[in-house]
Amino acid sequence: MTSIPDYMTAKHRECDEVFSLAESNAAAGDWLLAAKNWQAFKDELLTHFGQEEETLFPAFEQATGMTNGPTHVMRMEHQQMRALLQDIDQAMKGQDKNTYLGLSETLMVMMQQHNMKEEMMLYPMMAQHLSQGEDIIESFKA
Amino acid sequence: MSLAGLSFNALPPIRLPFRFFITAPIFILLCTGLIAYSGPDLWLGRWQPPMLALVHGFTLGFLTMVMLGALLQLLPVIAGIGIPHPELLAPLTHGLLSVGTLMLLWGFLQFHSSFILAAMWLIAIGLGIYISALFWVLIKHISQGDSLLGFRLAISSLLVVVLLGLALLGRYLGIEWIPPSKHLTNVHALWGLVGWAGILIIAVSYQVIPMFHVAPSFPLIVRRFLTPLIFIGLLLSIALPSYSLPALSLLQGLFALVLLLVIHRRKRKVPDTSIRYWQLGASALLLTSVLFFIPEGIWNEYLDIDKTLLLTALFMYLYLMSIIEGMLLKILPFLSYTHLQQRCLIDFTAMQYIPNMHEFFDKRHGQWLFYSHVISGLILIWVLFQPSYYFIFAIALVLESTGLLVIMLKTMKLYFAVDKKISQAAKDRVEPPTASFKNT
Ligand SMILES: [Fe+2]
Ligand SMILES: [Fe+2]
Repeated sequence: MTSIPDYMTAKHRECDEVFSLAESNAAAGDWLLAAKNWQAFKDELLTHFGQEEETLFPAFEQATGMTNGPTHVMRMEHQQMRALLQDIDQAMKGQDKNTYLGLSETLMVMMQQHNMKEEMMLYPMMAQHLSQGEDIIESFKA
Repeated sequence: MSLAGLSFNALPPIRLPFRFFITAPIFILLCTGLIAYSGPDLWLGRWQPPMLALVHGFTLGFLTMVMLGALLQLLPVIAGIGIPHPELLAPLTHGLLSVGTLMLLWGFLQFHSSFILAAMWLIAIGLGIYISALFWVLIKHISQGDSLLGFRLAISSLLVVVLLGLALLGRYLGIEWIPPSKHLTNVHALWGLVGWAGILIIAVSYQVIPMFHVAPSFPLIVRRFLTPLIFIGLLLSIALPSYSLPALSLLQGLFALVLLLVIHRRKRKVPDTSIRYWQLGASALLLTSVLFFIPEGIWNEYLDIDKTLLLTALFMYLYLMSIIEGMLLKILPFLSYTHLQQRCLIDFTAMQYIPNMHEFFDKRHGQWLFYSHVISGLILIWVLFQPSYYFIFAIALVLESTGLLVIMLKTMKLYFAVDKKISQAAKDRVEPPTASFKNT
């Protein structure tokens, strides 16, 4: 059985790694490989957002009664990151290296400050307030 | 851990950390003036009044200034809450510390007791307010993480530094709180450099390196035990300096090695100036702790320079300053972006006005600053051997600190321009925010 903080934090790291791969490919001008890794990163990130927005956040909101608190901010930040993903898609299509690297640095900053808040506060709180936390994680693994 | 008070977007206004940051290079410029004015005699020993002034201009005016500004923004993210009443306390501390440091420098240079007395009051109140606020945060914190312990120890060290500093200054005024001793001056310096600055950097590195450079976490044993062991070493340094100094040096060297290893194993290898600052700092720290173990006798036979002076310069300028300058380059665009992005949580369409990270901060400028820091660092070491070339160091330092100042001003100017655009867009907009949210 894996706890919410352990599993979700590990997923953040996995996303970071694929993200870094795509970034190095783009920096080296290997757009074919960059596109492949970028797609893999996007898939993984969006799945993660989905698990939070559709399962974990609602469960947390229900358990604590906080609907307008931290989960609300997290959802809005997901929206902002989704918008950045689209901008990077454009740069990727145009093989515009400078814009790509500028935007990927931006996404990195946004992702990390977002992840930090989840890892240091939200996930530990979820572990505390959700008795069925480990079952939820099992369902993610399936 | 309680839910009350948790507000993810409660960053204090950006002008508060900016105020601390912008003051830092100005103090370096002041230090440069002091170096140019004092001439070669400044470098002859650690106990010269101009050297005391120089060291305090650098440690209080630059290092502490930046670290206090950065804590203002780091705490809401790392501890979950920021200091209370930042709008009141931050400017107060900044003002008192700035003026207090100026008074202290003047007091050292002129042996002027009324300036020293004023400096004691201003610095004691200024830092006292901030330290109390930090302790309040660290007691009430709502997050979890390995960095928090380090923060507590670093801030406790700052408290020790300030108290001991005040007692030492008191002696200038004939107040004999402590007996006359160079040993206590060394203890004061050690707590400041290795405790306050050193432990804080270690705590920050646990967080920053793995996250922003996609590196492995520091080994658990390091995260658990390194900072407490350093703190114990510092406590021992008061009574048993001959045992604790080698132990502290060993711990610092160990940290430098682990840091280099973690950096080496990072997954994100896209060129980044701030990682080069970390590597430079770690290498300088490693060199410092290796040189420490050269016996005094052999040292004096081959090297015509005071060992402590050289090691302190390496530690302060090529370790501490490298890391702090590198972090400034990262934190300025980071803060600017995060603040603007948080504004756009309410008004999603305004995201289009926010520049990307490279527009906030030109990578070439960062590289330029890095090279100028390497060069000025090497010149500093050279001047320690050949004090008559002090003027070249002063020139290198002016170039570097002006460069840093210009980079900061450019980022800040862009921030306020974009901030204004977002406000203007909000005013112009006729639809309610929910409508524009759906459109995107
Ligand atoms: Fe999230
Ligand atoms: Fe997440």
